[in-house]
Amino acid sequence: MRTEDEQYFQGLEDQLEDALAVAERAKKRGGDPKPEVEIPVAKDMADRVENILGIDGVAERVRELEGQMSREEAALELAEDFAEGRVGDYETNAGKIEGAVRTAVALLTEGVVAAPIEGIDRVEILQNDDGTEFVNVYYAGPIRSAGGTAQALSVLVADYTRALVGIEQYDARQEEVERYAEELGLYDKETGLQYSPKDSEAKFIAKNLPIMLDGEATGDEEVSGFRDLERVDTNSARGGMCLVLAEGIALKAPKIQRYTRNLDEVDWPWLQDLIDGNYYDDGEDADAADDESGGEDDEGDEESSETDANDPGDGGDAPGDDSEGPPRVETSEKFLRDLIAGRPVFSHPCAKGGFRLRYGRARNHGFATAGVHPAAMHLVDDFLATGTQIKTERPGKAAGVVPVDSLEGPTVKLANGDVRRIDDPEDALEIRNGVEAILDLGEYLVNYGEFVENNHPLAPASYTYEWWIQDVEAAGVDIQALEDDPRIDLEFPDPGEALEWAVEYDAPLHPEYTFLWHDISVDAFCTLAEAVADGRIEGDGDGDDSVLVLEYMEPVREALETIVIEHRQRPDEDRLEIDGWRPFVRTLGCEPRRAVADGSALESESGNEAQEPTVELERTWSPEDLSERARTWGHETEGDNAIEAVNEVAPFRVRERAPTRVGNRMGRPEKSERRDLSPPVHTLFPISEAGGAQRNVADAAKHAETMSDTPGVVDVQIGRQRCESCGTETFKNRCPDCNARTTPDYRCYDCDVQVDPDEAGRVECPRCERQATCVDTREIDIHEEYRDALEEVGERENAFEILKGVKGLSSQTKVPEPIEKGILRAKHDVSTFKDGTVRYDMTDLPVTSVRASELDVDVGQLQALGYEEDIHGEPLTHEDQLVELRVQDIVLSNGAAEHMLQIADFIDDLLEQYYGLEPYYEFEDRQELVGELVFGMAPHTSAATVGRVIGFTSAAVGYAHPYFHAAKRRNCDGDEDCVMLLLDGLLNFSKSFLPDQRGGKMDAPLVMSSRIDPSEIDDEAHNMDVVRQYPREFYLATLEQADPEAVDVEIAEDTLGTDTEYTGFDHTHDTTNIAMGPDLSAYKTLGSMMDKMDAQLELSRKLAAVDETDVAERVIEYHFLPDLIGNLRAFSRQETRCLDCGEKFRRMPLTGDCRECGGRVNLTVHKGSVNKYMQTAIQVADEYDCRPYTKQRLEVLEKALESVFENDKNKQSGIEDFM
Amino acid sequence: MPLEAAARLVSELTSRGYNAEREAVTRLAAAEDPNAALERVLEEVPNDALVVQADHVESVLSRPDTTGSPRTDGSNAAGATESEAASADGGTAGRDATRTDASSAGSPPSASTGTGPTEGRDSPDPSPVETEGSSPADRAADPAIRSLEITGDMTGESTGTGEYSDFVSVFRDRLERLGTKLRGRVNHRPATAIQGMPGGSDVAMVGLVNDIRSTASGHWLIELEDATGTFPWLVMKDREYVDLVDELLCDEVLAMEGTLADDSGIAFVDSLSFPDVPRTYEPSTADRHVQAALISDVHVGSQEFMADAWNAFADWLHTEQAQHVEYMLLAGDMVEGVGVYPDQDEELDIVDIYEQYEAFSEHLKKVPGDIEIVMIPGNHDAVRLAEPQPGFDEELRGIMSAHDPQIVSNPSTVTLEGVSVLMYHGVSLDEVIAELPEEKASYDEPHKAMYHLLKKRHVAPQFGGHTRLAPEEKDYLIMEDVPDIFHTGHVHKLGFGKYHNVLAINSGCWQAQTDFQKSVNIDPDAGFAPIVDLDTLDVTVQKFS
Repeated sequence: MRTEDEQYFQGLEDQLEDALAVAERAKKRGGDPKPEVEIPVAKDMADRVENILGIDGVAERVRELEGQMSREEAALELAEDFAEGRVGDYETNAGKIEGAVRTAVALLTEGVVAAPIEGIDRVEILQNDDGTEFVNVYYAGPIRSAGGTAQALSVLVADYTRALVGIEQYDARQEEVERYAEELGLYDKETGLQYSPKDSEAKFIAKNLPIMLDGEATGDEEVSGFRDLERVDTNSARGGMCLVLAEGIALKAPKIQRYTRNLDEVDWPWLQDLIDGNYYDDGEDADAADDESGGEDDEGDEESSETDANDPGDGGDAPGDDSEGPPRVETSEKFLRDLIAGRPVFSHPCAKGGFRLRYGRARNHGFATAGVHPAAMHLVDDFLATGTQIKTERPGKAAGVVPVDSLEGPTVKLANGDVRRIDDPEDALEIRNGVEAILDLGEYLVNYGEFVENNHPLAPASYTYEWWIQDVEAAGVDIQALEDDPRIDLEFPDPGEALEWAVEYDAPLHPEYTFLWHDISVDAFCTLAEAVADGRIEGDGDGDDSVLVLEYMEPVREALETIVIEHRQRPDEDRLEIDGWRPFVRTLGCEPRRAVADGSALESESGNEAQEPTVELERTWSPEDLSERARTWGHETEGDNAIEAVNEVAPFRVRERAPTRVGNRMGRPEKSERRDLSPPVHTLFPISEAGGAQRNVADAAKHAETMSDTPGVVDVQIGRQRCESCGTETFKNRCPDCNARTTPDYRCYDCDVQVDPDEAGRVECPRCERQATCVDTREIDIHEEYRDALEEVGERENAFEILKGVKGLSSQTKVPEPIEKGILRAKHDVSTFKDGTVRYDMTDLPVTSVRASELDVDVGQLQALGYEEDIHGEPLTHEDQLVELRVQDIVLSNGAAEHMLQIADFIDDLLEQYYGLEPYYEFEDRQELVGELVFGMAPHTSAATVGRVIGFTSAAVGYAHPYFHAAKRRNCDGDEDCVMLLLDGLLNFSKSFLPDQRGGKMDAPLVMSSRIDPSEIDDEAHNMDVVRQYPREFYLATLEQADPEAVDVEIAEDTLGTDTEYTGFDHTHDTTNIAMGPDLSAYKTLGSMMDKMDAQLELSRKLAAVDETDVAERVIEYHFLPDLIGNLRAFSRQETRCLDCGEKFRRMPLTGDCRECGGRVNLTVHKGSVNKYMQTAIQVADEYDCRPYTKQRLEVLEKALESVFENDKNKQSGIEDFM
Repeated sequence: MPLEAAARLVSELTSRGYNAEREAVTRLAAAEDPNAALERVLEEVPNDALVVQADHVESVLSRPDTTGSPRTDGSNAAGATESEAASADGGTAGRDATRTDASSAGSPPSASTGTGPTEGRDSPDPSPVETEGSSPADRAADPAIRSLEITGDMTGESTGTGEYSDFVSVFRDRLERLGTKLRGRVNHRPATAIQGMPGGSDVAMVGLVNDIRSTASGHWLIELEDATGTFPWLVMKDREYVDLVDELLCDEVLAMEGTLADDSGIAFVDSLSFPDVPRTYEPSTADRHVQAALISDVHVGSQEFMADAWNAFADWLHTEQAQHVEYMLLAGDMVEGVGVYPDQDEELDIVDIYEQYEAFSEHLKKVPGDIEIVMIPGNHDAVRLAEPQPGFDEELRGIMSAHDPQIVSNPSTVTLEGVSVLMYHGVSLDEVIAELPEEKASYDEPHKAMYHLLKKRHVAPQFGGHTRLAPEEKDYLIMEDVPDIFHTGHVHKLGFGKYHNVLAINSGCWQAQTDFQKSVNIDPDAGFAPIVDLDTLDVTVQKFS
């Protein structure tokens, strides 16, 4: 590690120590469930694993093994330790296996996610039909967060431990095998699997698995075939099991195989058959095999690379392979599935006019993101904003959108006939109202690492400046000299220069003047050439302000629009005008010749006569000159691609400008919002129903059921505590009498004997062997508690608007939070999450270099944080200099900063007024937040990561180093997670608040990582490329659709474990500001669903790359119809609810009134909610000319609605009946 | 083979838009040159005729070709009249109206009344048995004998508007009407009254099952609800009738008798009874030997629709064997429908819903025109899914008018010559099979699941589960009167048997195994036609696949 990195981490840890010291002092004084900070600091993964599992000795053993072997191997090694009792203290074999499996999952998930504790319920030993024992692993839903590899390996580890402790293999009964297959189908239908194995595949796996996979029922739908099996507890789908079998075993078979090979004790010979697909017993081979390869492609599993390499994959149908046509990727419609109303499609799969794939990584890019020009974001009616998720065709499934303005912008046709490329977001806003059609969406930046991560064959690259410059260099030109020439702009040359270079050097034409010739047919190309030859030049023949004027003809106009060249359409004057026409004309094989007065023609270059010369365009070829190859060159149909024709007639080489288009649609909108429970909670103090629907504590304090009750006295379930010193019984953590700490008072439910927890934390009554409990329903005087608390912190009721409690506590011991904390939260308008912390959610986005100017900080602030040099090694003096971001530094959105200030105020008051200490933060404005520590914490995980605030952005996202996100096990494809202010977490988090139910420990900081070790983060981040330029070989390899691993581009993985592992994240593309384009997606600013959908359909009409009928079909098919059908179904089987007390009834009470309170009962699904989309759907189907099938489905539904909701004898009549 | 010839002729006729009487086909088939005869007949048929009738053929064959062989002649004039009358009856889908066809004899083409030669019967006849058998002489003699009456059809009577009160009315009506069957048997008290009775009293209550749950000690707690409130009843696990708890469905009507606990908060069940069909129930039968074909689930439009099996069935109906089949009941799912499940269009042979019904109508035309048809919709049909489902709307009726079927709601009761048949599509069977233990109800023995519905006297008792309910002013799903035959479909399995002398019969289907069925392990009974003797309620199954 470099010294500066060491200093950086040391600085963070020192700061953390300070805060911890304050928190520890505070905790000792307060009435919190524990008198100490409850989030242990883990310095490395081994610590986290041990902390999460709670098994002593694991950390030490993990550290021992870490240097010697991979994590997977270490997991197997630990399995041996468990089997032989060296680690963990288990008496039973089931316990040993359970320990080994949990540890394996924890290890493989770096001790961050909750899967090892929440995803594995238990391990059981059951009996085979022959009387031998076998192992049953009982999975639960949260195993999902472990990911396929860890899931699959957990099975292997279970089997390995099983073999070591000498238990037999599982022998599945036939009906169990069948059940697995049916259940997977059911789960896939209900919840959806990333990869759903065919029945035959599932059965094959089930038949061969040496241990039984079982699990909790996760859904309501039941299997209809193989029910009530003896060894399967439930008839519902077992989600955890389904995930492990499908996304684990089936998908990751090659990865497991790697480890089974090295183990003598376990032998899974069937894995090879699984990988090869040799599991079809009968005639279904053919189609099943097809489906299977399809499945693999979609998944892009990194481990299937061996098989994928020979797989036809994306090259299969593409004629590129047999050199019979241009290299093209296969289209994939998958991303269009489940289209939602109001979230527009930006481009259909591989459609002309869609986003053009450009390779590179911008500084705010990589790690499942897509770079889009900010002008394009505005032009798609603001539906795209920084952080908006898009579902994309390739290389992954989804990506977060980032603004990159060093790309080519979109090209639009304006109402006045101008066709313009818009490279400036300001221009985009200015012309937006006049846009008639978006002919091309501009470039779409994807980094190389994305293809590595998704194991997607490289898609043919667009011809761009970075490639061209290397082509020129390869042609032997001294680039340095050109670059040094101040008169030359290499990236944006004028037409003359571009032509000169093209002709002079043996390099293709500059991309700036390379048009999308591949998108027009050879015929259209000939037509265009003819039109140009008939065209005339107006204006000065020498200068660049001359204009090529063509006759206005539909085919010519269309061709010009398709190749995306800027021009002006003047149909009224019968003109099409093109500026900077020379490269265009020459590419068409036409020569401009100067016709002087006497009619003799001269080369334009040589002619500089003073007389008024006119320029004539001479076509140097005729269609017959084209070779057979050029005439028939095409991808879908013969001759649909004119690029070969271009190359035959142009005097220079022309590469395909945009051979790959990427289809995509909007996924979910970006997010930057405070996390409030619903209704928001200020204090985790139970007030039952007494607070009304608002859970208002003040109301509860005055509540009385009847006139005879004392106001404010409410029955609640609450934890019973006992004061050891004076014996007082209370629910508080401090004795109200002697102020000593209290302990939970466990008593046996039956015999009321007091029980103390044993070492393992179990509380069992010694007499009746029943679980003892400390939870008690007792009367609490909320009025008194509330008044006392107000007095305690010295606040008055008017300090806040409302103080909201909870109905009941969901934790095991039902320890309430001191109301005082809630009062201060309410005062500062912050609300708490289930675990006592205050959170702010933001969409994750990566950034590796930042400017002080875009972060709203000054150079001095950056310097104070230890930033001394810019990315080029120059001293940091100016606010526009780029500095490389440190791995734990994060950028807050404006909203987050504001909320953090509120939290800081709350913490200061809490320290002062409740704990009796000095305030800690004392912020005046948000600049003071810079340098403060926060926790980053992702859902489904149980470890927080310490981060440091470096600045602010107007984008509604949380920008941070990709390693920071990866440490939380997030990528940036639209994922969101939260930040907490450091001291808030330290002071207010308690495990005692966590719900006692499946998943309760997820999304809670059970442990914190103080520093990021790059080798202990989600390895997806290691696939990010970190270079300044991709080599020319890379671009050439893309044309071959090579395997990404076969190309040499440095990725982050390459520096792991070296001194530079924290630095050197270079990028290929800069962007002016990390927050450009709209701050919020139109999806969030538009009001109703109807407005959103109208905007979506309106946009689909404008986009050349979108088929609006298809969009309408899909909106109806995936949104309206399911909504209508679902609501209609729900209507006819609905629950009812009492309007007064909220009691729910499965069926309408025969009395008609509420059985609980006699109140009014009403439906939960009404006519209005059932048919709210009916008329809109019919209208859209009509307007966008949907298929008869779709229209008929709507018709049938409409009749059904009428039949249910209208009285046959009293039909609603239209106004015309009265006329 | 004559049978094939008949089939060919029928399909030729239907392809030109004609339906045909069985007798007419027989005569045509027996002509020396059936094709030529067919052409001639078609030229002669009146323009407004939809059905080629025996006398059309008769007149054609007899006029120019006087040498026409005697065996083509119908020997029984009455047969001709009967078939005419049946097919020519106008499209008035009369509800709750007795429909005896004698009254409608005045339709235009019914000119011929058996003027044909009558000597054919005893002349030495070289034709094979089948031909002889299919001579029209053998179909029932007199249309006046037939009778067909519909009750419980709610088509056009849907008055519910989806209000909360509509739902309440339905369930109140259910308790009221089914409760009547039980109130005579026990000394029932309202739920609120029971609460006020002293502990240890003997009590009884009639109500809807509101909740069934097991207690920690393995007993069962059943909450009964009546118009006053609910009361919990405890079924002890060691009592013999605890077995019945497995059979219970929420919202069915039950009577319970037992002893009130000391605190009067709960009652211990001593006996529980269902509305049930009396053991001694004596079904009505027809006065003559006449048969009805009870089929369902045709699924026209599906790629899996078994056209060959259907054609074989239709052909068979033209044979002597089928001479007594005068009624055909269709228990829903005429077509495969649209949008029944996601991406269904990819598995449809006919994507257009109207074309599906047109195709179905074509298939229906192959059925002899003189067979009375009654049909109800199913869950694949283009009507609302919520039950009761009204019969098809005017547009669909128009498409299917050729054979003039009676189209009524699901469920409906049709009484054929005194034999009442409760027709219900059978969606609730899924739920009964799912909720009840395997040995009490399974897909392999669908009729056993039907027994439970008979026992509960309700076709779809449980609310809130699979079965959808459309609230109407009364509960149309009740079996107020015991039917003689209970006919369902939906599960695509064939099964029949008698429950307290009521014939329960679940028709198979005309759709081969679908991918979905394969995936959930259902092997359908496709291409069977159960034929019921209405005079004895015996069932014979004809196989056509």
